[in-house]
Amino acid sequence: MWMKKRYILKLADDQVTAEVARREAETQVRLGDAEPLGIDAVPVMGGRALSVRLGNRQHLVHLTGMDRKGTVAATLDGRPFRLTVMDELKAQALESLGDAGGSGTILADIPGLVIEIRVRPGQQVHQGEPVIVVEAMKMQNELGARVSGVVREIPVKVGQSVNPGDPLVVIEPDPGG
Amino acid sequence: MENSDSSRQFRKVLVANRGEIAVRIIQGLREMGIGTVAVYSEIDRTALHVLTADEAVCIGPAPAAESYLKGDRIIAAALETGAEAIHPGYGFLSENGPFSAAVEAAGLVFIGPTAETMAIMGDKLSSRRRMIAAGVPVVPGTEEAVTDPAEAVAVAERIGYPVLLKASAGGGGKGMRVVRSSGEMAAALRQTRGEAGASFANDAVFVEKYIESPKHIEVQVLGDGRGEVIHLFERECSVQRRHQKVIEESPSPSLTPALRDRICAAAVQTARAVSYRGAGTVEFILAPGGEFFFLEMNTRLQVEHPVTEMVTGVDLVRAMVLIAQGQGLCYRQEDLRQHGWALEFRLYAEDPARNFAPSIGRIESLTVPQGPGVRLDTGIYEGFDVPIHYDPMLAKLIVWAENRDLAIDRARRVLGEFILHGPVHNLPFHAWALEQPAFRDGSYTTHFVSEHFDPADWQPRLDAGQTDALIAATALFEANRRDARLATPPAGDECAPGNWRLNALRQMTNTK
Repeated sequence: MWMKKRYILKLADDQVTAEVARREAETQVRLGDAEPLGIDAVPVMGGRALSVRLGNRQHLVHLTGMDRKGTVAATLDGRPFRLTVMDELKAQALESLGDAGGSGTILADIPGLVIEIRVRPGQQVHQGEPVIVVEAMKMQNELGARVSGVVREIPVKVGQSVNPGDPLVVIEPDPGG
Repeated sequence: MENSDSSRQFRKVLVANRGEIAVRIIQGLREMGIGTVAVYSEIDRTALHVLTADEAVCIGPAPAAESYLKGDRIIAAALETGAEAIHPGYGFLSENGPFSAAVEAAGLVFIGPTAETMAIMGDKLSSRRRMIAAGVPVVPGTEEAVTDPAEAVAVAERIGYPVLLKASAGGGGKGMRVVRSSGEMAAALRQTRGEAGASFANDAVFVEKYIESPKHIEVQVLGDGRGEVIHLFERECSVQRRHQKVIEESPSPSLTPALRDRICAAAVQTARAVSYRGAGTVEFILAPGGEFFFLEMNTRLQVEHPVTEMVTGVDLVRAMVLIAQGQGLCYRQEDLRQHGWALEFRLYAEDPARNFAPSIGRIESLTVPQGPGVRLDTGIYEGFDVPIHYDPMLAKLIVWAENRDLAIDRARRVLGEFILHGPVHNLPFHAWALEQPAFRDGSYTTHFVSEHFDPADWQPRLDAGQTDALIAATALFEANRRDARLATPPAGDECAPGNWRLNALRQMTNTK
């Protein structure tokens, strides 16, 4: 009997559903509406990478989970990628809570040091307005508000180290915005 | 050539740097039989340069201002370990005159030029004046700082627009502004002076002719500090992003033999004018018509020194140490030749698609290319966490072959074999650059990236098979990761990236 699970994957702007089906030593992956593909994936290099054969074509794939949001660092044949992967149920649950992308919370996207906070709680901000500056490797990265609204909370302080996914500034979007 | 009375042999040298350059210098010292001392900040306890050295001394907390820039602690570490000399590498204190003077005052040898040379060359206006006096061609412009917009307009009208306003103390592309007409001058001068005052604590700004479509050519020199100077030919470093070099090569595809002779002679003249001691680099702008102008002199070992080493066969670190030991140049100009072609690719943890923003983290997996004509100068290893406090350059890949075409072909092979998994990096950028006609035919200028690189459309598209493999493998990875977590209750930080990876990949074999 086949055991099946479905996942939603995002790569850049593309989203695809992947169904992983397993039966004893056999694994198939079905991408979107395409026919299921037999996949042969064997750990190599002491478990640091996978040799993946689809058909007879060989690829070397490195995969590392990066955070709790399902971000995966992948290196395919030497090229680096960032994907997000989520099982279908979790993706649906998130969707019913409202589009996560429209939320006003600004998250750190790289590890770094908060060097400047340009807003205060209660302050009105406009979409695109720079609100916080994170420094990493001698480069300052200005992060802007993704929505117009009111700053509700700033859970970080100047001088604090942050990791990807850490909330930096919580903005309550303007109603109807 | 021969040992003079003042020559000596160092038994131990301290390397006042970190990362790949500290490792490179330690390698050179070790080949000479000299003991090595590394210094490190608290976060660099496990960095490669510490693991490579014979001795290591902690000099303070992670921020560079509290460790690698603390000259007094570095000198104390040298005295404590009995090192007789300090090699500063590049960046940090390498071009800091007061540090060089303090090293010598402590009875140690600074492997580099004198504080006086650094003071002259560290200031664009004073080095310009010195070169005009020495007869080296400089970009037409003013010899003194300009404060009055009317005066700046008069100069600009004399030399012709566009002109460049430049902070005398500036560097790294900061404190520069192009002015294309008299109407823009007053505002531009005010802004540039303001920026220069804020960034460099010196608001001196001068005017020079702006060279359109320039190439960046530099010449490696060695001086014995007593007026003897030789050159080791040129490097071309026109592939830049954010005014920082990313690909360098030697020879330059832009020089004819006659032009090479003239530009190298001008570099020797420059270094002689200050009785240069040690290894240095004279930078020139090459205009489309073949005119060249002195830009500045870097009084240190350059990041891109390996391409010169590959084509001349000279070990520049060794040459620097021999000069510092008082043994002089050890090479005659007529013995030096350019043999073959070398390209250097700087490996940065950065995302080309996001305006080259830094991307850091753990080096999860590293497979370095090998085979003929390959050199890797590296500061990383598998499992190393790249700290956020320093420059994002991880390593330099240098490729050599008999001629430029073969070097490019070899570089394509070598970049394809290089696997770095963890941070996003710029290896695909280098592969992209090699495919550009303007790179292949050598016509590229310092505007190469802004003219040819489109962050939204630069990578070759994944073909259907690659996309399927990427998506399928990631889905399988997720499925196995979840199984692994269900099967074994999480111990400690289940989200540590390494744990996911190992558990998930180990369960992934489907042939039991």
